[in-house]
Parts: sequence; structure tokens; C-alpha cells
Amino acid sequence: MDSWVRFNTQSQAKERVLRAAQYSCMLLGYTLHKSSVSTDLQRTISELEAHMSLTRKLLRLGNSVEALQAAKMTIHLSDSVLRLCLTIGHLNRAMYFACDNVLWAGKIGIISKLDQQKWNHRSFRYYLFALILNVTRDVYELCLLLDCEDCYRSTKSPLSTSPSSAIPADQLSSSSSSSIPVTVTPAVMWVWLRKRIHQVGTVLYNNPPLLLDLLKNGCDIFIPLDKLGIYQTGPGFVGTCGLLSSVLSIVTMLHPWLKLKP
Amino acid sequence: MDAVVKFTSQSQGRDRIFRATQYACALSIYLLRNKPDRKDLVARLKSLENNLSAGRKLLRLGNAANSIVAAKQTMQLSDRVLGLCLTVANINRALYFICDNVVWARNVGLIRSIDKERWSINASRYYLFSLVMNLTRDLYVILQLMQQKGRDNRLKSQHLSDCPEVAEAVIPELDALIFLLLETLRSEPTVALDTVKNICDLFIPLDRLGIYKSSAGVVGFCGLISSLIGIITLARPTLRIKP
Repeated sequence: MDSWVRFNTQSQAKERVLRAAQYSCMLLGYTLHKSSVSTDLQRTISELEAHMSLTRKLLRLGNSVEALQAAKMTIHLSDSVLRLCLTIGHLNRAMYFACDNVLWAGKIGIISKLDQQKWNHRSFRYYLFALILNVTRDVYELCLLLDCEDCYRSTKSPLSTSPSSAIPADQLSSSSSSSIPVTVTPAVMWVWLRKRIHQVGTVLYNNPPLLLDLLKNGCDIFIPLDKLGIYQTGPGFVGTCGLLSSVLSIVTMLHPWLKLKP
Repeated sequence: MDAVVKFTSQSQGRDRIFRATQYACALSIYLLRNKPDRKDLVARLKSLENNLSAGRKLLRLGNAANSIVAAKQTMQLSDRVLGLCLTVANINRALYFICDNVVWARNVGLIRSIDKERWSINASRYYLFSLVMNLTRDLYVILQLMQQKGRDNRLKSQHLSDCPEVAEAVIPELDALIFLLLETLRSEPTVALDTVKNICDLFIPLDRLGIYKSSAGVVGFCGLISSLIGIITLARPTLRIKP
């Protein structure tokens, strides 16, 4: 009970729970539509989804300020790639929130004659840019960790690794001169690829914050891609991805050590 | 700006701002009701008020748990009267939230077979009971503080009663009492703010239940004042009454 109270008093926590509920409704609506259940229930679910969406928009009023504050902080980071990715990501988020606030005002009637479609597209475009930058940051962190891993492995056992690494290189370099290495090359590439994938898997397994963040951004990215018509997947898939990313962000809120820093 | 961000990142902070805006809209609608050239503005304010009210109802889901935990904590207070008042107030608040959640579920169509009006009235009733208990607690604290101050001022009142210029015996006593009350409220702003907030809030369920019907303007004004006091006490925790 105490942990629920602590969780509940955070404004972001409520917004995340509402988001999870909203995408659950989307998924449920799609499932009901597929199974041809009564239109009454489908209408209730879609109205509930719209109500949650509007309330979340209400909760997001003023989030631009938070995003700008976050951008002000990340501009002082020492790592230039991180600095660039995070600062521009936050600025895009601030623009997304600003467009979202205008959409809210238009939906409830404060601003009349608002082109909702245009502003909707605009907000999703900024959201997509912010997500792309977040994924770039995740990939950069992953590359840094992989480099560290390689360095560690090479310093740990220099004798064992050098012959094995020399052989594929030799085979690769001689592929153009003789016909025999040409048939071996794809297999060698496949082995190298499998080894690399295994390395990536190990690094991610040892760094749960990075893994969660990558998964979350990976799921989130399908939402604006679908809404902008770039890669349409349908409400079922979007609902699943939205629900999964909301659950992951709730988990990072309940366990702050799982949040990727900075 | 940092303070604004910190304030709004609290769930309660945002809810208080929405509440203040909601009642400001209600007050504005009442003031503009007889102006035909402002019909468009009134329509927009009504839409904003409804939207804020609906949004706040959704955001109140789960608040019953908070009140139950608060009731468990206040049960352990050393002062029995204080403990009783606050525990009963918290339990009533929890019941108010439960009724409010049921009304929300009815509004969105999740539950269809319930009498919305009855549940809404019940919610207002529990809210009224919790406000009455809060006011009782404020009164108790004020009386205790007045007693403390009264012991210090006994000599002064003794001097006043001995004075030949005094017209009646009852008036200087009443004067002393009012003076003591004002002194107490002045020296303890937390109690004064909480009392004013609860009195303002009281008009809302009294109007809703038909016990004391005031106009929509009075309800809006009182709601706005209590929300502003709530924002001040949240922004300045030293002004918040404890426990």
C-alpha cells in the first residue's frame, strides 16, 4: 500500500498508468473488432480511450517547461555525442508537448477552427525525431560498451584471441586472390555475426537500464510511424507496443536504478 | 522556473491548479451569464470547466488508497481528539473517493446499472462529513491555543475588569475573547489558513446537497479561494497544518 501511495503521488506515474490503460483499450478495441463483439461495447471502449487520451493531454500541460529544463542540463554533458543526442531530443520533446497543448486547446474548444490533422501530424513528427535521437543515443552507448568489452577481452587473454582473430582476417584478405576462400567467406562472416550478436546480447543482459531503454524506444517508435503513415501496422500492433513501453516505463519508475542515466 | 517544475511534478500540485482553474471558470461563467455578447466565451469556459472536472475525476482513481493509509497513520496520534477527528475525516474522504470513482465509471459507461444521482449525492455527503471533521479539528486546535494564550493574558483581563470605565461585565469579556481568537489566528497562520480553506470548501457540498443553497457564483468563488490556499500550502510546506 505504501509503495502505491508513493508511486501515486508522482504526477508522471499517473500519466504512465493512464497511458498503459489507454493502449490497453486500443488493443482491446482491436480484439473486439476482430471478434465482432457488440458495437455497444466497442463504442464504450473507444470512448474510454478518447477520454484517457484527452486527460493525458491535460496532464501534459506545462511539460514543455520540464523538457526545456532537461535540455538546459544536458547541454553541459562532457560527451559530445550524448550532449547532442539528448539536448536535441529534449528540444524535440518540448516542441511535441507544445503542439500537444495546442491540440488539447483545440479539442476542448478553447481555440476554434484549429486544423487538428495538421497539428496532430506536427506533434507526431517531433515525437518521432525525439525517439530517433533516443535510439541513436542507445546505439551509441551500446557501441561504447561493446568497445569496452572488446578491450577487456583483448587485455584479459591476448594469446588466445590473436590467432583466432588473425585467421579470419587472413582468409578475408586472401578471398580476392583464390577461389577456395570465396566459399568460406560467408560462413566466416556468419560466425563473426553470431559472435557479435552474442556479444551484444551479453552486453545488454549485463546492462538492464540500456536494454529497457532500447526496448522502450523500439516499441514507442512504431506509434508515430503508424500515425504519420510511414510504416502502418494497425491499431493492434500499435496498442501492443504502446502497452509494452508504458509497462517498461512504469517498471523504471518503481525501480529507479533501472533508469538510464543521464 | 525550477520551483514551478518542482511544484507541477507533484500530482497534488497539478490537481490543485486544475481545481483553481475549474472554479475560476465557474465564477467567470456566473459573472458573464447575463452578457449576451459574451456567449461564445461562456461556451468555451463551460467546455473547459467540464473537461477539467472530467479529467480530475479520472485522476482521482486510486486516491482512496492514499486516504486509507493516511487514516492508518492518524490512528496512531498521541492526542486522542486529534486522532479521532483526523481518522474519521480520512475514512470519510476514502468513502468519498470510492463513490466518486463509481460516478466516473458510470459517466464513461463502464457501469450502466447504477443510479448516478444517488452515488453523486453520497459522494457529496461523505465529502461534507470529512470537511466537518476537519473543521472540528481546527476548532479543537484553536481552543487549545486560545487556552494557552489565555493563561498568559489572564492578568490583562483581570486589569480590564477592575477598570471603572468599563460599561458592562459581558462586553470586555467578549472583547477579550475576540482579541484572543484573532491573536491566536494571527500567530498561527497554518491553523487560520486551514480553517478558511475548510469553511470555503464547506459551501460546495452544502449547495450540492441542498442544505444551504447559495448561487453558482458563491460556490465558484469559495472553490477558487480554497484551491488558492491549497496551492499556497503546497508551495510553502511551512504553512501547512500538521499533522
